[in-house]
Order: sequence, then C-alpha cells, then structure tokens
Amino acid sequence: MEKIDLTLNINHKPVEVRISPNDTLLEVLRDHLDLTGSKESCGEGVCGSCTVQLDGKPVRSCLTLALEAEGATIRTVEGLADGDTLSPLQESFVNHGAVQCGFCTPGMLMTADALLKENPDPDEDTIRKALSGNICRCTGYAKIVEAVAHAAHPQDQCPDCASGLKSCCKAKE
Amino acid sequence: MTQYNIIGTRMPRVDSRAKVMGKAKFTADLKLPHMLVGKIKRSPYAHARIISIDASKALALPGVRSVVTGKDTEGVKWGVFAYTRDQQFLQTDKARYIGDEVAAVAAVDEDTAQKALDLIDVTYEELPAVYDPMAAMASETELIHAEYPNNINIHVNIDTGQVDENFAKAHYIREDTFTAPEESYFQAEPYAVVARFDSDDCLEVWCPNGGPHMKSKPLSNSFKIPLHKVKIRRIAIGGAFGGRSEICPADYICALLAKKTGCPVKIEFTREENTIATRQGHAMITTHRTGVDKEGRVLARETTCYMDGGAYSSTGPIATSVPFLSMEQAYRMGSVRYNGYRVYTNKPIRGMIRTHGRGFACGLDTQLDMIAEHLGIDPVEMRLRNSRQPGEYTSTRSLVGSCAMDETIQKAAEKSGWTEKWGKLPPFHGIGIGTNSVQTGFPMGIRGGSQSFIKFNEDGEATVMSGVVDNGQGNENMLVQIAAEELGLLPEDIHLVNADTETTSSDPGSYSQVSTFVGGQAVKNAAANCKAKLFEVASKILKVPADTLAAKNRMIYVQDDPEKCVPIKKVVRVALTNFISVNAEGGYWPKVDMKREWVSNPYGQMCEAFSFGTTIIEVKVDPETGQVTVLNCVACQDVGKALNPLVLEGQFEGSVAMGGQGGMLTEYHEWREGRCLNPTMLDYKLPLACDMPPIHNIIVESIEPKGPYGAKEAAMSIAMSAAQAYAAAVSNAVGVYMDSFPVTPDKILAAIKKKK
Repeated sequence: MEKIDLTLNINHKPVEVRISPNDTLLEVLRDHLDLTGSKESCGEGVCGSCTVQLDGKPVRSCLTLALEAEGATIRTVEGLADGDTLSPLQESFVNHGAVQCGFCTPGMLMTADALLKENPDPDEDTIRKALSGNICRCTGYAKIVEAVAHAAHPQDQCPDCASGLKSCCKAKE
Repeated sequence: MTQYNIIGTRMPRVDSRAKVMGKAKFTADLKLPHMLVGKIKRSPYAHARIISIDASKALALPGVRSVVTGKDTEGVKWGVFAYTRDQQFLQTDKARYIGDEVAAVAAVDEDTAQKALDLIDVTYEELPAVYDPMAAMASETELIHAEYPNNINIHVNIDTGQVDENFAKAHYIREDTFTAPEESYFQAEPYAVVARFDSDDCLEVWCPNGGPHMKSKPLSNSFKIPLHKVKIRRIAIGGAFGGRSEICPADYICALLAKKTGCPVKIEFTREENTIATRQGHAMITTHRTGVDKEGRVLARETTCYMDGGAYSSTGPIATSVPFLSMEQAYRMGSVRYNGYRVYTNKPIRGMIRTHGRGFACGLDTQLDMIAEHLGIDPVEMRLRNSRQPGEYTSTRSLVGSCAMDETIQKAAEKSGWTEKWGKLPPFHGIGIGTNSVQTGFPMGIRGGSQSFIKFNEDGEATVMSGVVDNGQGNENMLVQIAAEELGLLPEDIHLVNADTETTSSDPGSYSQVSTFVGGQAVKNAAANCKAKLFEVASKILKVPADTLAAKNRMIYVQDDPEKCVPIKKVVRVALTNFISVNAEGGYWPKVDMKREWVSNPYGQMCEAFSFGTTIIEVKVDPETGQVTVLNCVACQDVGKALNPLVLEGQFEGSVAMGGQGGMLTEYHEWREGRCLNPTMLDYKLPLACDMPPIHNIIVESIEPKGPYGAKEAAMSIAMSAAQAYAAAVSNAVGVYMDSFPVTPDKILAAIKKKK
C-alpha cells in the first residue's frame, strides 16, 4: 500500500509521519512515535484503554484512522503532565489509589480529563456514566471515581486528598 | 500496639506516578533492535490428529525468517507437576482444543507474519470430541490423553473418617447440586512476550508473569540450559488474577523463534487468544450432601465435584483442591468426604482463577441458607454456629492460628443493617451473606521460600533485591514500605530491584497469596540484618550499646534520648571508609508440611496463616426483566494487619467487582462444540463503572503472629465471599435458592415463574 506523509499535532507539537492509509491512530502513536502510554487491550473499541483526545473529545484511537486525525489537536496521556509536574487529575489518581496494574489508567485519565474540561463539577453518577466506556479489571472503579470527583474539588474529610506526592508517608509527618 | 512510621499508612503506591504519566513499560511496549514479529498458528479443530504440516510456502514468503513446528521442540512437555506433564508447546501428534498451538512464524512485520500463518498447510484427521465432563467420562471414543482412562485427569479424595457414622446421627440431611460455567480473567493487558538470546547465549525474556522464577525453570529445562542463563526481566504487568503463573506455550515458542532467527522476537496475543489460549476458570458441577444437628451445626458433609479441566492438566491437582480447602477452612465440619474429579475435555485449558470455584463455594453457602431456613435459624447465626475458630485444626489437619472469622461476620452484619433487613424487605428485594477463607500460601517445595539482599549506597540510600513480582496489586509498594520501615529510611530512599531472575533469589512469586507473607517477610528479615550492622557502626559513633538504638526518618538515634542521633548516611560512609559491610541478606521459609501433596497426601499443615472474609450484598430484582440492581455491599476481611489501607481497600473493591458483580451476575462463557462464542470484551460482559454498587470496606486486624507486622492474605477472601453473597441476595429477593451460576436474568425469570 502506498505510504502517505502526514503532519499530526500531538501534545502541542507538529509531528511528521509516513504512514499507510489503513494505519490506526493507535498504531501510529505506538509504533511510529513510541508514544506507548496509549494501550491496546481489546482492539475493537470496547475497553477504552487506547483513549486519546481529538480537539478535547475522548476518542478510541484503535478505531480512528491516523488520517482522520490530520488537522486535529491530538492529546495523549504523555501530554497531561507539565514536564515533571502532574496534572491535578493525575495527582488525584496517585493519591487516591486509583491505579493498580495501570494498563487502563492512561485511557481512564484521558476520558476523565475530557469530562472535567466539559463539566468541572460532575456528580458521582455523571462520572460513572462518563467512565463507562473504560474497563478496569483491578479496582472495581471506586477509587477511580473518587479520584475524578476529588481532582477538581479536594475534600477536607477525605484522607487521601490532603496528601501531596512528596508527603507519601503521611503518618510520619 | 506497636507504632510504625510507614507500615499502616495510606501511602500512595510508588509505581503509580510512572503509570499515570504513561511511562510504565508493559511487554507490548518494548522495542528491541532488529526485533521480529512472532505469530502462532492454532488448531481450528477441537480434537484432530495432525497428519502433516507443510511450511514450505510460508518459508518462501519474503520477510519470513523462521517457521517452527512440533518437530523443532524435541518433544518437550510441560506440566506443573512431574505427574502432569501432558502439554507440548507445539503439538506433534494431535490437537486437543480449538486454539491448540501447531506452528509459529517469525517475520519482519505483523502483516507478513499473518500471511505466513495462512500459508502453513496443516492436514488434520478430525476425531470425535467431548465438551463436558460428564460426557467425557462416559465417552467410548478416542481418549484425549491415552494414559488417562475415562478422561479423568485428576482425582482428589479426602476422607476424615466418621462420615457415615455422623450422617447417621444427623437431625437433618439434605443434598443439592450446583453448577457454574467457565469464566475468564480478562486481564487488561493481553498476553505478550519478548525473547532474545544474547551474545553469551543467555535467554532474556519479558512477559507478564505470576513469578519470574516459575517461568525460568521450565524454560531452562526445555532449552537444556542452566538456570543462570535464563533471565526473566522485570516489566510492568497488566493483571494476572491467577492466570499468568505457569509458563505459557508462547514463552517457549517466542524463545525458540528467537533462537532460530538470532533476533529478538515479540508475540502479542489478540484479545481472543488471551481468552482461549492462556487459562480459564473451571466449569463445575458440585453436589453437597450435608447433615446437621438440631442447632444447625454441621456433623457430616460429602462433596463431589466434577470439574471441566479442558485439554491439559495445568494446575489441575491444585485447582481440584482449592475450592474445597477454602470451604473447609471457613467452616467447621464434624467429618467430611470430598471427591474432586478434574476431567479432560476438548476445550481450552483451565487453571487457577481468583474466584476459584464460584459454583462450588456458592453451593455450600446456599445450602447452609437452605438448612437454616428449614431449622428456622437466621443465616448470620447459622454461619456463626459453624464458623472457624482460632486454634482449631481444619478437616485436612492444618492448624489455624489467627482467625477473626466471627468478627468479620458480626461487623459486616452490623454495617449492612442485617437485623433490620433480613426477612423484612419488600418483595423482590433481598439481602445475602457469604463467607470464605483463603490460604496464605501452598506447600511449594524448593520454590516455597524467598530471599532478599539489601545493599547500601554511599548516599545512605538502599537497593533492595527481591524476587517478588507485582501483577498490579501493589507488591512493589509493599516491599518498599517494609524496607523503609525496617531500615528507618523514607520510601523514596529505597530502590527496588525485583522480579528479575538474574539478580534476585528464588521466590514463590505472586502465587497462592504469599507475596507479603513470604517475600515481604524475607525483605523484612534482610532489612533487620542490615539494620543490626548499621547499629554496630552507629554504636561506636554514638558511644552507646547497639541494643539501645532505633532508626527512623533517615536517622539512627538512642531510644531513650532521641536527641542523640546520627544520620544513616553518615553511618554508611563511616562503614565504607572502615571496610565494614552494612549489606545483608535475609530470607523466609514458611513452616508447612512438606509431605503434604495435593493428590497422594492431602493432609498436614497447608500454610502458616489463613484469611477470613464476609461479604453482605443487598439487591433489588426487576420481576419483569430479571435484571438485578445491587444497592449495597459490605466487604469485611480479617487480613491480619493492613500494611496499607489505601491499597487494601482497592483490593477489596476489585474483588467485589470480579468475584461478585461480574462473577455472579454477568460473566460466563458460551460454547458451540468447543468453540468459545464470546472470547472478546464486546461479548463477555465485564462490570463497568456504572454497574458497581457502593462498597463499604471493613478491615479486621487479627495480627497473625507469624506474618510480617501481623499481615496475611488480603482481599481474596472478599473475591470468594462476594460471589456467595451475590447469589444469596438474589435468592433471597426472588424467594428461590439459585443453584445455577451466574444468576443471569433468564435464570432469575425462570425461578420467579417456577415459584408462581
């Protein structure tokens, strides 16, 4: 198949790639650009592990052709942090124990990040519905939902909101 | 109670920062120079003789570097035990299930590898196949394995004696049969393996695993190379749940392709392959016959279980025993006779899974509820009358040390409002209880113990080496917490080197719930030995006896005079300057009965500690649709000691999701003549965020005297008891005891109709 030269805007940087027209966005991210944070788990658009944002909307990169992403602003999990500084959502995931095996985490974060941009104050029901396209086999979702809810609105009564990354052994302080 | 600095805190896991940044590398993320793509050709038949394999067309395809078949394996066979070696990594004589490995290719890219697979010409002669254990035992057609009459792979017989005598004394006896189909792990990460031989002919492998040392030994045997030449590397792992402990044929095949081509090879499973060609949970048909006295105390029980084992042995002897053992630990039985039969069928291979024997366990609990109803006893009271007590021996003669079974039942009942709800809920609204007990380890022979080595660097930080692997449950964090606590350092001062067979000593792996108890304890002991060396040096600096010292916050100080102190960094530098070693090793070997064997001698001390859990579930059933809405969940477990409540709660919640919500409501496989009809996430219904009920976690700490800081197995008892609680709650809501699991809407509607 004839290769195509394409410029993609990924995490605020223009990136040039030479792809096949049938390459998915996930394949291009992982295989061409070594952005392996986005994961393939089901390969058929069910599990959400490959979720990235196109112009702020969460999409399944395993079902999106790279060609379709031309001209869009693409954001992957690698683009969430500001250098070494985690986004409040990433920090909340860490502090609330929302990460276990971590394979679904990048997709979960991209969906949740898009939700919070659209609705900065979602209730639990809204969060659960928004995350229902992202399958997690480890956590039972409780800590993920809590991490999303508390990311924008830390709770005084939550034992895990108070902790910053640096104070990882709180009881010691 | 002892005060700890780091143990018992809600410390966020050390591995989560890399994971939220997308930096954690899983096997499929690896890229090595000149790496080839490996793919496996699988049998399309459930049972077929392999007449010939012609790979010439595939080999002629440009880009194909190697094709391997059973002829290249020298007939190597795998089995967990010497007496269960029945599986070739690539079949030579016949295929025994749809998905059995018959050939493999290595090519320059995925498209070429896929094309090559299609060009491999395999001629089969189809054989009659059997798809359920009862038919397999009765079958008169060709045996699946010639040396196993009636296709019976494993028979476990346990008999405590006095069973018939005690049945004769019983006030009430009943017999019930319960069934459950196969289930799958659906780890988030599909199986993948990367292998290469380096310039010294060492085999280097990256793959998800439940214990690197359990992978290295069979690879060493298969390739006839010494163990030090097999280097299983640490890699992030996207879940295991019992399904990644054994060697996978793909590990061997990948290494074989790497050997043949001289290049690194990567095999990535599709989701379907992960379901079909790794392991599944056993389908089970279980009959419990139970005799009780007037107060509902079990005097005698006879349990017979037929398990669909699929095409090969896998962990057969263990899998045939564990559902029974979990129940004999949870409940006292005056006497018991157990016959477990694992039967070969022409279906995918069954192994260990987190909710081991949901139909088995639920059956036993459901029957207790039936007996309780007959005798007019509340289900909670029924369990308290039969629950395991500390200091007792199980039926198979394991001494139970710490045990807060009663406390878990009482606390869960109280939190759920059991007394106010039982028998008082509106129609189609129900509440149910389940309890269970899980082993903290199995007798594992030479691989039963773990050793750790700790070295100090001149900056006062420590490198901790341990064979313990992290499948996602937080084992790495557990090791860091223990090392930091014991050495008086902060978690960020600990550099962990783990799950690497080149640098770490033998370890049982994340298997049989033993990582904290054995591997954690090994690190604790190594750290204690290190600390003793540090204190010797510090005692000379501070001019006080070593036994007056303690360590905390990077300082060594005099316990009665904390102002008198010296930084650990300084102690290390003084030691190095004076050529004094402050590095140390330590190990832990559980004291189990090494003569205990799953089939030949299923008696004796199984493990050093048992956990106990209770789950209570409240549901509402829609009588028109059979749909179940779960209103509330209380999960309560005796974990010995919570080393990190934040991590532990996550384990409880995940256990409820897999064991209860998925395991008892939606998860099961459907088949057509040995072909799994729902191997993908689209068709196999996993719980979603919107499905899960509120979960109230209650941690009970019985402080196991033999465990590190009092810890023992944590959360598996929730996975197991949640299954039972879900089944009980639905049974209570519809007024019919459900005996076929999972309790799907069709079964619920049928039960409601039958009751009318």
